[in-house]
Amino acid sequence: MSALAFLSPGPDAPARSPMAPGAADAGATFEERDGWSVASSFTDRDTERALCESSVGFADLSHLGKIEIQGDVSAITGHNLELGRALRAQGAWWCPYSAQRAVVLCPPGDTVALRDHLTASAADASGLASVIDVTTSQGAMTILGPLARETFARFTAIDLRPQVTPPPAFRPGSVARTGGAILCEAPDRYLMLFGAALGQYVWTVVADAAGHLGGGPVGVDSLPPIDAPTPEDTDGTPGEVAHEFGVERRIDAPPGDGATLERPDA
Amino acid sequence: MTRLPEQRGERIERDREVSFTFDGKEVTGLEGDTIGSALFAGGQRTFSRSFKYHRRRGLLCCAGQCPNCLVAVDGAPGVRACTEPVREGMKVEHMNAEPRLDFDVMRATDLVGGPFTPPGFYYKTFIRPRRFWPLYEKVLRHAAGLGKLKKSQPEREWRTEYRRRHADVLVIGGGAAGLSAAAAAAELGADVVLADEGPEPGGRLLAEGGVGYARELVERARSAGVEVLANAPALGTFDGLVPVWQGDTLHQIRARRQVFATGAIEQPLLFPGNDLPGVMLSGGARRLIGMYAVQPGTRAVVATVDDRGLHAALALLDAGVEVACVADLRAEPNGGPAQALQRMGVELLRGATVLEARGRTQVDGVVLGRPGASSDERVLACDLLVVSGGSPPATSLVAQAGGKTSYDEERGYFVLDDVPEDTFTAGQLTGYGELEAAELSGAVAGADAAHALGFGDEGSRSLADRDREKLERPRAWPPKVAVPPPVTSEDRGGKCFACLCEDVTAKDIHLSVEEGYDSIELSKRYTTTTMGPCQGRMCQLPAVRLMAKETGTSLAEVGTTTARPPWHAVPMGALAGRPFEPAKRSSIHARHRELGGNIMWAGDWRRAYDYGDPKAEAMAVHRAAGLIDVSTLGKVIVRGPDAGEFLDRLYPNRFSYLKPGRIRYGVITSDSGRVMDDGTICRLDDDSFYVTTTSSGAGAVYDWFSWWLADWQLDVHLTDVTQGLSAVNLAGPRAREIMGTVTELDCSAEAFTYLDGKQALVAGVPSLILRIGFVGEVGYEIHCPAAQGEHLWDALMEAGKLHGVRAFGLEPQRLLRLQKMHILVGQDTDSESNPFGAAMPWIVKLDKEQDWIGKWALEHYAEQPSETQLVGFTLSNGHVPTEGAVVMPENGSPMGQVTSARYSQKLGRVIGMAWVPAALAKDGARITISDENERVEGEVQTKPFYDPDGEILRS
Amino acid sequence: MSYVLTCPNCGPREVTDFGFGGEVNPRPTGSPSLRELGEYNYFRRNVAGVQREWWSHRSGCGEWFIAERDTRTNEVIFTALPADAEAAGDATTAGAASHGGDGSGVSGGHGA
Repeated sequence: MSALAFLSPGPDAPARSPMAPGAADAGATFEERDGWSVASSFTDRDTERALCESSVGFADLSHLGKIEIQGDVSAITGHNLELGRALRAQGAWWCPYSAQRAVVLCPPGDTVALRDHLTASAADASGLASVIDVTTSQGAMTILGPLARETFARFTAIDLRPQVTPPPAFRPGSVARTGGAILCEAPDRYLMLFGAALGQYVWTVVADAAGHLGGGPVGVDSLPPIDAPTPEDTDGTPGEVAHEFGVERRIDAPPGDGATLERPDA
Repeated sequence: MTRLPEQRGERIERDREVSFTFDGKEVTGLEGDTIGSALFAGGQRTFSRSFKYHRRRGLLCCAGQCPNCLVAVDGAPGVRACTEPVREGMKVEHMNAEPRLDFDVMRATDLVGGPFTPPGFYYKTFIRPRRFWPLYEKVLRHAAGLGKLKKSQPEREWRTEYRRRHADVLVIGGGAAGLSAAAAAAELGADVVLADEGPEPGGRLLAEGGVGYARELVERARSAGVEVLANAPALGTFDGLVPVWQGDTLHQIRARRQVFATGAIEQPLLFPGNDLPGVMLSGGARRLIGMYAVQPGTRAVVATVDDRGLHAALALLDAGVEVACVADLRAEPNGGPAQALQRMGVELLRGATVLEARGRTQVDGVVLGRPGASSDERVLACDLLVVSGGSPPATSLVAQAGGKTSYDEERGYFVLDDVPEDTFTAGQLTGYGELEAAELSGAVAGADAAHALGFGDEGSRSLADRDREKLERPRAWPPKVAVPPPVTSEDRGGKCFACLCEDVTAKDIHLSVEEGYDSIELSKRYTTTTMGPCQGRMCQLPAVRLMAKETGTSLAEVGTTTARPPWHAVPMGALAGRPFEPAKRSSIHARHRELGGNIMWAGDWRRAYDYGDPKAEAMAVHRAAGLIDVSTLGKVIVRGPDAGEFLDRLYPNRFSYLKPGRIRYGVITSDSGRVMDDGTICRLDDDSFYVTTTSSGAGAVYDWFSWWLADWQLDVHLTDVTQGLSAVNLAGPRAREIMGTVTELDCSAEAFTYLDGKQALVAGVPSLILRIGFVGEVGYEIHCPAAQGEHLWDALMEAGKLHGVRAFGLEPQRLLRLQKMHILVGQDTDSESNPFGAAMPWIVKLDKEQDWIGKWALEHYAEQPSETQLVGFTLSNGHVPTEGAVVMPENGSPMGQVTSARYSQKLGRVIGMAWVPAALAKDGARITISDENERVEGEVQTKPFYDPDGEILRS
Repeated sequence: MSYVLTCPNCGPREVTDFGFGGEVNPRPTGSPSLRELGEYNYFRRNVAGVQREWWSHRSGCGEWFIAERDTRTNEVIFTALPADAEAAGDATTAGAASHGGDGSGVSGGHGA
């Protein structure tokens, strides 16, 4: 057992999101996926999609794997990360907090393999490098729809206007009067991170703000897949990511952005 | 309800009636009306009763500036009737009059008069006898204030939206200048917000027949992408953040540049009777006519100091009002409007003004004449007195943003002198009063703001420069203004009001100067002038004029008071915020509620104080086993080759020698030697340490660690996993057996000894198990991923059922730790406590080779023993002293205090900890504790009360 | 007080995002006299003007950095990570990037 194994949830017991009580009160249906009990739906997919297209929907994504990398981030990850911008590669978001620290957000099924892979890369990197699974330290919520920014305006001072925060901008800062970060995944779609112990509180705040704008909770099954930013977008052209609600486009292969990391076996 | 024939650009829609009630009576207005215009059209002349004297007050400004029309709408007090649009079914009620608006018994304060209610009246009159104050207070509380707030929460449920808005340019003020500025900036590509406090944007255009044009300007701005906020006063500027209140939304606007186009505010004149209903500002009269087609009176007298009053007289004539006479204070008003009036046969008195207004319930006559001369007085009957005392720029908001004002001799008021570099101004605020000039100045300011942000190009820049030149050539100052001398009750009888909000008369200002409050800032605080709902809009200049008269100085010397927020009255409810508190909850929180836990705040966490029976919970730990959720502990991973060195520099004891798999207690000291926090540290492997902190100190300790790391730049990485891990402590004589059923780890006393830290699966959950004994029995503190904390808790409760396990809360834990004399930092220690005084000299390793935080101070304290020491004590008489009770020596002054005390059922006596004189810090010493005048004798004990040698713990 | 600070990592944020660490206060080297220790622990310059101070982006990246700020106007002259701060700004305010030894700058708002 590695020295930090106790930081990662084990496979023998279901893992629960800190927002599960809020989602349960709102009528969520939970399904077990990759060891996590996930709020998969609240009403039905059509209704929830319609909500996200007409006003605002929010979904609990706390089960996303979160791996913190400290040290020479580009050497460990094989990606050149630029402050203020996340990178989409291998179905994961690579989010830089500083020149020396980044967090990777990945599908829950990939977490262990990605952690181990990065740990191995860190061992090869020069200088001090560390990789820590912080999946359970942070709650995560996706907020999407034409009123997503209006919803955020109710509880964060972070400037989310597309000219300032286009996809795939990454903005650490205060949300709902607590430490957090906002990642613009696509136009009108944001992923928010915050301290896990505040999950129930954050759920209340978002439900209040979104509810008064005509929005509500949606299950993870209603979330459209995230379209990978095109190569031009990663050069910094703001607001150009193609995105249509309701149109599914599966990303089968990692985009050719020079990423060297092999996709871990899920 | 009578209306004039259709007015050019009126706001009302004549075929759409809106019904509401005023004091229970049905009133019918029209769509587009305000409460004020609808009531006035229906014949209402008295709208409110004044603050102190309960005098009748009627419409004065019709622009939301003055306090005269404050009413309560649907139970919410303090609404301005003159700007609040009518809504079907709304319930409007008067404020501040008992029993009725037209018959108010408190009017007596006016009739008995001034001698009883000078400034400072309360403080001078109601100070003795002191014992009567509660009675006085009851009466005064009832008499003071405007309106009533509903007291119970459900009755006043309203919701305020807090909306953050970022923008490139914020334009404050939506008159012609502001609208042009907004459109100009937006057309160059800037993201622009415009906030206007009127019922719809347009400013003076609305009152002067320009509604159609105003709407064109709004449309132009909107189509350029401007977000136009109507009925939305800006409340102030706070380092660039501007709160804008719009009904049930508070916008918090942070723009990179601001354009102020706040216009001008027409001032009243000072003369006895100047507050009577029927006395109206020229702008007010024109708004009633132009916007709502309401005739403000039938026979009018006009008194003015500039052309504004003359234009108003013409507008009155157009509306069919008989104009009995116009008094223009200027000697030679010979411009276009004066000639037009004369052509229409209106008598124009030059160099004259109003000396007095007469009437009981409203104006029925005025006295005109030359100020200072008693001859040539004219008494005229009228039901409307239109006044215009000059229109100084509304500089308050821009002054809050750093603008400077100075007195303008020629116009008799204060003008904007200088603004900060990043701030732009336009319109009447900068003296461009004529429509064309105002628009042009707005276009220049808007373009300048956008250009300053890098929008636009060469072409747009040179266009703006050309406009600027056009603007600068015929500097369109308003026509000449006469400076009105105050006519006060010294000159004539009757009250002359300087401040309508707070009922401050000219005489009160006179008195305040006599009593020594001879600067404008002092007078403001003494008389409360400018501190009422109008925030100085109607009274700042009159007060300055009166002060100058009273002190015999110039207005320039008197100066103005500092501009402060709020610029506009705003309900507290709009500022209070949403009712959500960032509460941290453990992932096991739901279980504590199900078990009947009494949930309380502990720092920023919600925790179970107990589960209903703290004594029994504590005894369960001694007899069988207890389980407590300690997820709130701070948890930090310290990694890297320098991790040991890093901790050695932060703690007074050594960690670099700690063996992997072992745990050591640590106290963090500051460089002043004081105890900041404590916790346990487990070495996970050569390069990794797991540091726990107190629950409430978690954030501060992480900050402290990362701060020093930023300075030292050691090869160390920190990760705060406080919220990522759940932690529970299973303790008691049966704890080992219970562990045996949930983990394959060998938990025998030999294999898993005290202060070992081991990893294992517990109930299938990856865990770090620390064998520590905060509560004094054999204990296992189990840390695991928070997402599986609830599962772990359930498994331990289930496995422990047979063994009598019981959940225990914070309170029993506090008792158990007290039995072991474990300190709680912040409870048993304070900002003066160092480890020597706190009975932990053993933790300070002064022989450590390297420097560490606190070393120098602790070296000093080691040589100079503290005067007081933290010790345990027992009491035999069963009295549990209050925490904070005073420790008395045999004789003399207090020399310490009790920090913790509980009755221990296990030990059968009262135990506690206290700071006592060093001489008494020995076993068996007697101390006297004085607790709320009761004295009890205690005996000092320096070793733990329970299991003093730790045999149970180590077993 | 609602000005904007620019975090060297995250960019401009409202000042409420940040934790304040007080003015830069170099830690003595060697073995300070009692007087020097007292001055270091308890005395601050408290200038009305530009000073160098510690801030942490507590609600964001969590890192400590140095800012130079005019205490009269809240105008922030520059912000920089400690390693870059030496080179930046006014030489008179620069110094060893060290801080208040009494820990008073670290205020998590925590009591017992």
